[in-house]
Amino acid sequence: MSRKTLEIYSVELDGTKDTKQTDQEDDKKYNDLDLKKSHQKEELKRELDLDDHKLTSEELEQKYGTNIITGLSSARAAEHLARDGPNTLSPPKQTPEIIKFLKQMVGGFSILLWIGAVLCWIAYGIQYVNDKSASLDSVYLGVVLALVVILTGIFAYYQEAKSTNIMASFSKMIPQEALVIRDSEKKVIPAEQLVVGDIVEIKGGDQIPADIRLLSSQGCKVDNSSLTGESEPQPRSAEFTHENPLETKNIGFYSTTCLEGTATGVVINTGDRTVIGRIASLASGVGSEKTPIATEIEHFVHIVAGVAVSVGLLFFIIAVSLKYQVLDSIIFLIGIIVANVPEGLLATVTVTLSLTAKRMAKKNCLVKNLEAVETLGSTSIICSDKTGTLTQNRMAVAHLWFDNQIFMADTSENQLNQAFDQSSGTWASLSKIIALCNRAEFRPGQENIPIMKKVVVGDASETALLKFSEVILGDVMEIRKRNRKVAEIPFNSTNKFQLSIHETEDPEDKHFLVVMKGAPERILERCSTIMINGQEQPLGKSNATAFHTAYMELGGLGERVLGFCHLYLPEDEFPESYPFDVDAMNFPTSNLCFVGLLSMIDPPRSTVPDAVAKCRSAGIKVIMVTGDHPITAKAVAKSVGVISASSETVEDIARRCSIAVEQVNKRDARAAVVTGMELKDMAPEQLDEILANYSEIVFARTSPQQKLIIVEGCQRQDAVVAVTGDGVNDSPALKKADIGIAMGIAGSDAAKNAADMVLLDDNFASIVTGVEEGRLIFDNLKKTIAYTLTKNIAELCPFLIYIIVGLPLPIGTITLLFIDLGTDIIPSIALAYEKAESDIMNRKPRHKKKDRLVNHQLAIYSYLHIGLMQALGAFLVYFTVYAQQGFWPTSLINLRVRWEKDELNDVEDSYGQEWTRYQRKYLEWTGYTAFFVGIMVQQIADLIIRKTRRNSIFQQGLFRNKVIWVGIASQIIIALILSYGLGSVTALSFTMLRPQYWFVAIPHAILIWVYDEVRKLFIRRYPGSWWDKNMYY
Amino acid sequence: MRRQLRSRRAPAFPYGYRYRLDDQDEVNQNYLADEEEEAEEAQVLVVPDLEEEEEKEEEERSQGQPIGNAWWQKLQIMIEYLWDPERRISLAQTGLILFIYFFFYASLAAVITLCMYMLFLTISPYMPTFTERVKTPGVMIRPFAHSLNFNFNVSEPDTWQHYVISLNGFLQGYNDSLQEEMNVDCPPGQYFIQDGNEDEDKKACQFKRSFLKNCSGLEDPTFGYATGQPCILLKMNRIVGFRPELGDPVKVSCKVQRGDEDDIRSINYYPESASFDLRYYPYYGKLTHVNYTSPLVAMHFTDVVKNQAVPVQCQLKGKGIINDVISDHFVGRVIFTLNIET
Repeated sequence: MSRKTLEIYSVELDGTKDTKQTDQEDDKKYNDLDLKKSHQKEELKRELDLDDHKLTSEELEQKYGTNIITGLSSARAAEHLARDGPNTLSPPKQTPEIIKFLKQMVGGFSILLWIGAVLCWIAYGIQYVNDKSASLDSVYLGVVLALVVILTGIFAYYQEAKSTNIMASFSKMIPQEALVIRDSEKKVIPAEQLVVGDIVEIKGGDQIPADIRLLSSQGCKVDNSSLTGESEPQPRSAEFTHENPLETKNIGFYSTTCLEGTATGVVINTGDRTVIGRIASLASGVGSEKTPIATEIEHFVHIVAGVAVSVGLLFFIIAVSLKYQVLDSIIFLIGIIVANVPEGLLATVTVTLSLTAKRMAKKNCLVKNLEAVETLGSTSIICSDKTGTLTQNRMAVAHLWFDNQIFMADTSENQLNQAFDQSSGTWASLSKIIALCNRAEFRPGQENIPIMKKVVVGDASETALLKFSEVILGDVMEIRKRNRKVAEIPFNSTNKFQLSIHETEDPEDKHFLVVMKGAPERILERCSTIMINGQEQPLGKSNATAFHTAYMELGGLGERVLGFCHLYLPEDEFPESYPFDVDAMNFPTSNLCFVGLLSMIDPPRSTVPDAVAKCRSAGIKVIMVTGDHPITAKAVAKSVGVISASSETVEDIARRCSIAVEQVNKRDARAAVVTGMELKDMAPEQLDEILANYSEIVFARTSPQQKLIIVEGCQRQDAVVAVTGDGVNDSPALKKADIGIAMGIAGSDAAKNAADMVLLDDNFASIVTGVEEGRLIFDNLKKTIAYTLTKNIAELCPFLIYIIVGLPLPIGTITLLFIDLGTDIIPSIALAYEKAESDIMNRKPRHKKKDRLVNHQLAIYSYLHIGLMQALGAFLVYFTVYAQQGFWPTSLINLRVRWEKDELNDVEDSYGQEWTRYQRKYLEWTGYTAFFVGIMVQQIADLIIRKTRRNSIFQQGLFRNKVIWVGIASQIIIALILSYGLGSVTALSFTMLRPQYWFVAIPHAILIWVYDEVRKLFIRRYPGSWWDKNMYY
Repeated sequence: MRRQLRSRRAPAFPYGYRYRLDDQDEVNQNYLADEEEEAEEAQVLVVPDLEEEEEKEEEERSQGQPIGNAWWQKLQIMIEYLWDPERRISLAQTGLILFIYFFFYASLAAVITLCMYMLFLTISPYMPTFTERVKTPGVMIRPFAHSLNFNFNVSEPDTWQHYVISLNGFLQGYNDSLQEEMNVDCPPGQYFIQDGNEDEDKKACQFKRSFLKNCSGLEDPTFGYATGQPCILLKMNRIVGFRPELGDPVKVSCKVQRGDEDDIRSINYYPESASFDLRYYPYYGKLTHVNYTSPLVAMHFTDVVKNQAVPVQCQLKGKGIINDVISDHFVGRVIFTLNIET
């Protein structure tokens, strides 16, 4: 065990080394990290020099200025608390809020908008130099653009902060308390107020509240699994047994659990200075991967920004070569940038993600990092821990063997359905042994709690047996009371059995009953008879063979098998007053009567097999990574479907065909069980080969470092890897994974800190929900982006036409912002509520590098098909307004210069009427409003068609997603308010539009809908055709 | 030539044939890789045969073809390119996609054309559908050259010559002879209403240059600029169907906009009524009212303070005329500055 602990250390350090190799791009950042790490390493080494375990109590008292009997004084404790800070793990170092905020300000499209704003101001500057009375329009525009950036930045920042707060509040939810002696009094205080030198008492079931040096102990055993991953109970005592502080028995580590017994100790380290604290902070140095959705959004931003800049510059050059003034050209450039950049989109994406995060939180998936919402959807490999995630993280009786028969016990979460035959006399004896030869006890005061949920003091197997007999027999404590215990030998590893001697229930019966349980072969050795159907029979060869068959069979299932036997002591030899002496063993411990076998397993959660099957049908490879024994691991893997019933490993095939393992064609096996030992000798290529060739893999006996290696191996295959884990030792792997999933109940704080997601119910099935939501959000984001990008063309065309053809400007820059940040916002969020088109859990996970969020099909279809149609529709409204007011489309061509000349107040229209500048300007604003309304009306159609990508809208149901209709209503209402409510505010350049103009674009909207239905029809009709390839986004 | 044709056509079959075979071969290799070696061999045998045949054909072709015939070779390359079995599909696809796009955009063009056509069906060519934006007329002055500031030095003709040229040019359409020839002399003091069909050509009333008297440029070809008494013509914007309300003609009056009222001591208006006669209204639109001549009022600033900028505001006065819109300085009024230097 002690060696294992040591290994953990090398693990963490190696873990960072591993990432070092992969993250070489980031040199500078890396060096900093390196420095920090080596610093941490130093500190860790110093920690290893800890000598508290060698000190005597007196020396300890002296060193920490405490008193073992009276404890610290409150004043002293407060002093220490002020000096050392609270006893909590400080969360991983976070980027300062201001940096986060500034990142939002310059991320994504913001930089483009900043450029736009600055150009505006430069343009004004030039204007001002030329003419002191230059209009302030471009200054306002610049201010508006800057405001847009700042507001969306604040919004995104707020959203992010909110989701982080969820996490913060979450970790506060589980307050820990410690029993401490201060001022000679026993007090219960919150564990975070513990200070060095405090004398604490721990008892079975408690979490050790800090690193403590034990001073006294009564049968104390701890579970160091959160530190080492091994859940074998380890005894703890006050003796100094080893030089290495990590191996000595007299130190208890923070966050490990005391399983049984009691102990008193002095706190030697708190918070981040504890061993666990150091590991946790070390793990936070492992760089976490960029989330797939962040990559996708970056890709999308690059595309759009690329289009914006290149179109902008192209037309800047065109404008200059068309002899426009540079100033005007700059203003065109700004218009083009603003038209191209979907200002509201990133905010929309954030909202969409946080909506899904909320939805997932309701289903017990707490998402720490918003972007992780989608990551689960693109996950292609899940490396799942066994204990606690796939299994219930407790032992339960799975099988019984008595009367030469194997019976199956109910291992489900409530165990109420125990269907095996309980009529046999053998069962009566066996059940008595189970109930009596057991030291576990329910903690008092839990009368109203269901048996399975009661807290038990005792180790896992005894707990299982206690609960098992409590379910079947009723009140075990009562039975034990009736059968008073007179002597007991607790289990130890040398004799491998546990024995107790009881009086019998019957007051007339003066026999003593010896009950014994332990390793089956040891138990059998001590037996001379066996009980069959309630009758004692001599233990013959056939019985022995039957025993061995059963033992092997149960052992082969990966179950922990215990043998049970008993003996009624003869009344004459052992009278009522017989002094049993456990040390002298003055009673027989051989020639007992063998009663039966009982096997226990950490049973799989009942929801897991179904969830694993769902993952499999969703194309997700589920890999089990466990520290457990290969046989157990394989058995659990089989029972939950990680290894499906029909697949075999190479070893299975070898056994079936009775040939040597080497002779088996490795391609025939679909499943593989790889142990840590094998993994150790493997080159990365070999691991890659295994990961690529086997669809069902179990890694057993793995160390946490190997977990990291496995994760990296999976990532080399371009897989998006999810890792589940709960221990501190898992945190590097959790960090390294594309999405780390920590267990909310069993998980340590370090694991939760390293993870992107927390499963509040520790249930693997919740991951499936998460996958489903993640995939849905990816699809819906696609729709949202397609919806948003479409109108970019309708917004861009006016500027291009304006420059080339010289029409009066069809739509103003500010008006564009009202579309991007006004009418379009709620509808694009509404698409997040869209239901899946088909069974998204039946398709393969998307390929990280091939299935992009924004692919060229999406861009082309949005830009060149629907976008263009929209532009035409909007131009129609614009032309209608101008034509009905007197300017026919033909007369608009090249009108721009005269139109915009302020001194020219008699511009003639098609009817010979003459217009003043202001009259023209008002008409121009009406044109803006008309164009705006044209786009808005067609965006309604766009919204409807974006509900689906393949199915007809009528298959999807036009009214199933009510939020879409809220979105449509919001669009219309905002447009109405802008036109009729704010129509008189000249700065916004909206005017009251005649009602009939609202309907001009409707035929175009219908055309868009029809066109898209035709597209989808062809896609459905001819899957795989070039149409499908080019038109399906 | 016949031979060439044949030789050109001949490989077409083996090409395709080979292509198909190749295809199959590939498929076989994929699926039957380790099954039947014999079959593979057999196919290997077939293919070289074809290749040999093809080579022969090619030899024939190159022999039969004299080398200098460039256009023919080019065509050959073109055809080979188009029929290159490996590229054929992608080319066909590109072609198809181009065609589809062409078709798509042509349809869109057709749709927009149809929409425009329908739009014009609803629009009368004679009368704007809506006129609420130009309900009240705007005002403009002549001469106009980019600016409403009249800066000139009386003694330097270069500074005002362009005004004179501009005015002369503007008044060409008002020449008496032209007006008499084109337009009718209609009775003053009443609307010149021409009933009848919308599409009938309408007659226009004469507005002769001579109406402007001293500002007509007939007697004083410098329009008074040479003497520091500039003429400025004021024109009311044309509006289809506009009639000054209740039969009162619209009057013009100018005064100093800001500053000392006495900066302008006298203004002469021509015609002397300083008004736009009713007979010039209504206007029936460009299409039918072809020769319509906008009436003018000339302001002769006979005594203006010299050597200082005088802001002048000329307003229309009349019932139904709006001349105090804050946002629009040209509805019912016009503001300009006179800065006459001596």
